[in-house]
Amino acid sequence: MTYETKMKNTYKNKLKSMVKHPYFGFFVITIIMLLVQVLRVAGVDVANQTLRAFGKTMIYIIVGLGFSILLGFGGLASLGTAGFVGLGAYLLGYFTNNKGYSVFLIILITIVVAIIVGTVVGFISLRIEGMYLAIITLAIAEIINEVFTNWTAFSNGIDGMIVNNRIVLFNKYIVLDPNVVFVAISLALLLMMIITFNIMKSPTGRALLAMRNSTSAAQAMGISIFKYRLLAFIVSTVYAMLAGVLYLTYIPSTFPVPGDWTLNLSLLILAAVIVGGSRSIYGIIMGTFLIFGFDLAVLSNRNNFGGYFVEHPEISIMLNGVLIILVIMFYRGGLIRLVNTVIAFIKRLFLKLKNKWKEYRYGPDSE
Amino acid sequence: MGAFWLDFGIASAILFVAYNIFKIFFLKYFKNQAKVKSRVINLIVFLLIIYTFVIVYQTAQEKFGDRALAYMILQFINQIPNIASLALATTAIVLIYKTSTTTNFAQSMMATFGAYSAAKAVQYIGANYQWTTTTTVIVALFAGSFVAFLLGVFIDTVIIRYSKDKTPIGKQMITMGLVIILMGLMPMIFGFNSSNNPLVIPQLFPATEKVPLTFLNTWGIIEMQLSMTKHSLYILIFSVFLLVLLFSLLRFTKWGLGVRATASNERVASMMGVNTKLITALSWGIAGFLGGVAAIIKAPTDINPALMVSTQVNGFVAAVLGSFTSFSGPLIASILIPLLQGLMVSLVGNWNFTVVYAIILAFVLIKPEGLFGKKVDKKV
Repeated sequence: MTYETKMKNTYKNKLKSMVKHPYFGFFVITIIMLLVQVLRVAGVDVANQTLRAFGKTMIYIIVGLGFSILLGFGGLASLGTAGFVGLGAYLLGYFTNNKGYSVFLIILITIVVAIIVGTVVGFISLRIEGMYLAIITLAIAEIINEVFTNWTAFSNGIDGMIVNNRIVLFNKYIVLDPNVVFVAISLALLLMMIITFNIMKSPTGRALLAMRNSTSAAQAMGISIFKYRLLAFIVSTVYAMLAGVLYLTYIPSTFPVPGDWTLNLSLLILAAVIVGGSRSIYGIIMGTFLIFGFDLAVLSNRNNFGGYFVEHPEISIMLNGVLIILVIMFYRGGLIRLVNTVIAFIKRLFLKLKNKWKEYRYGPDSE
Repeated sequence: MGAFWLDFGIASAILFVAYNIFKIFFLKYFKNQAKVKSRVINLIVFLLIIYTFVIVYQTAQEKFGDRALAYMILQFINQIPNIASLALATTAIVLIYKTSTTTNFAQSMMATFGAYSAAKAVQYIGANYQWTTTTTVIVALFAGSFVAFLLGVFIDTVIIRYSKDKTPIGKQMITMGLVIILMGLMPMIFGFNSSNNPLVIPQLFPATEKVPLTFLNTWGIIEMQLSMTKHSLYILIFSVFLLVLLFSLLRFTKWGLGVRATASNERVASMMGVNTKLITALSWGIAGFLGGVAAIIKAPTDINPALMVSTQVNGFVAAVLGSFTSFSGPLIASILIPLLQGLMVSLVGNWNFTVVYAIILAFVLIKPEGLFGKKVDKKV
């Protein structure tokens, strides 16, 4: 055994290489999420609402991850997200209730449908310039909502489709326990984070980034703009629809209603991605926790602030809007940039103190 | 519904083949090929629209016999409030697009803000003065629209003016943020619509008051006696007056010249001595005013924050269909869209919105620059 391999195998260096690994942060986040659930099961007093808020937020993080590939990398603002999330939820409900398909099959179907829908919608909306994409996707979201309302055989109309957390697993109807689904969602989030990381660092992600900085320059380098934009659109659609499937399995005794998937939700997801920082996974997680998690866990809890924010829900909505505008106008990069700045500042301070201590200990540098 | 799609599909396929034959064999004889091409596509679209009307007419004939034409005219009359509010909203959106190069998603919320203020004004007047309903509503209409005007000016001077150097998509997202802010702000300022806080704009004329349209009979167009409500007649007159006023302002005044100069190139316009800041602020104000009027027209009774959302979606689609670069295109599209939506009810029932949107999206796929748009060459 050479000296190098011996050094590599020391525990300290092993740990170091583990911490330096890009996936390390994702695992840490997943473990923190799982801890909340474990604490709850172990009997620590975690409020039910807080737990549900964590679960919902994780689902929205998945939507946000897809959206970041579209917005942060593709530079395309879409307002159809909510419609796609709803479509995923409806697909699960329809195939479980009416056909009795297994949940794995439904996930497969959802991915296929998402790819088809994403391709069609992308083809239409990418024909015209970037700024109009938001308009066309808004119209498409409206169409999807109309379909939910009118196609009663599929969606049961405005009354909503009652699913009650039932899924089919191995030819049996199973009523899901939210605590189990929470774990599944955490693992799904881990998987999605890893996939997103790989997309971001792949040639595709780099091509998208080049396009975002300058379309003309990217085109000159031989990047097909239409192809990559379409790809980004499809990826974001797949993410949104899978999140819709998870949403329906998690929220206890809910059923999808056409009114749930409106512009409002799309705007909030946009807010989460922008406020967190549209090109960073950690940024999106922070942004989503700020926009959705904080509202769901803290502000809409009756015990906090004397129930003030429960009676005035419009204040937290308003704050989201103010945050979007502030971030876009004064602080492009969002929360993650703030965090990075603070970390860099602390590192610099630490280095300075270390040098000072060295000077004190060993005397000033002779050179 | 199935028969309609079949007919429509066959007609579009025939026109598509005809277009391609034209493109391959005859286009080379024309000098200005791009212009001719765009005109031919427009012709095809109008043929399709006329064909749709013909199908609707045929279906109506099967149902109503010789009263089919009367039925179609009645549909048009019923859509007048929708058309009026949509035309105003679309014009407002295009005006802002021209001066600020952004698609204003907050337009609907600005408009709803105006409607809320009007309702509040009605409440206030009702509590403090003994005015007649007519005076109250007219005062409230102007008060609400004026508040929307001020809101537009405020938004421009505080936010939009300082985001000039942002990308178009960044500006767009700022307006989306404004949507969220206004959505939260409105219930906070005006309170929720409830029984002890009724936010209502009373209808000036009850639905029973009607104006007979005798000229249709005397000119021999139809046999049947038709009438329209006084409400929609006054809406028609007022919105046409507003639009004519706006278009003549744009055409003949210095402000209009300034708007057109700003639209073509803001930097150069400001170098040439045009006060672009004032013009942009005024445009936002006027857009707010038009939106406020549109919202008040649309909301005689119940007011909620989502009042204008569907109108805004329609307005955007109309602006895309008619092209953002012209004023007249979106106006024509905003007349066409509610009309088609109204007429489609007899063909496809509840699916009318979906079908109309789908047709428009198919059109966008063929001609992305819109009905009357010019293809803008990109500068590198």
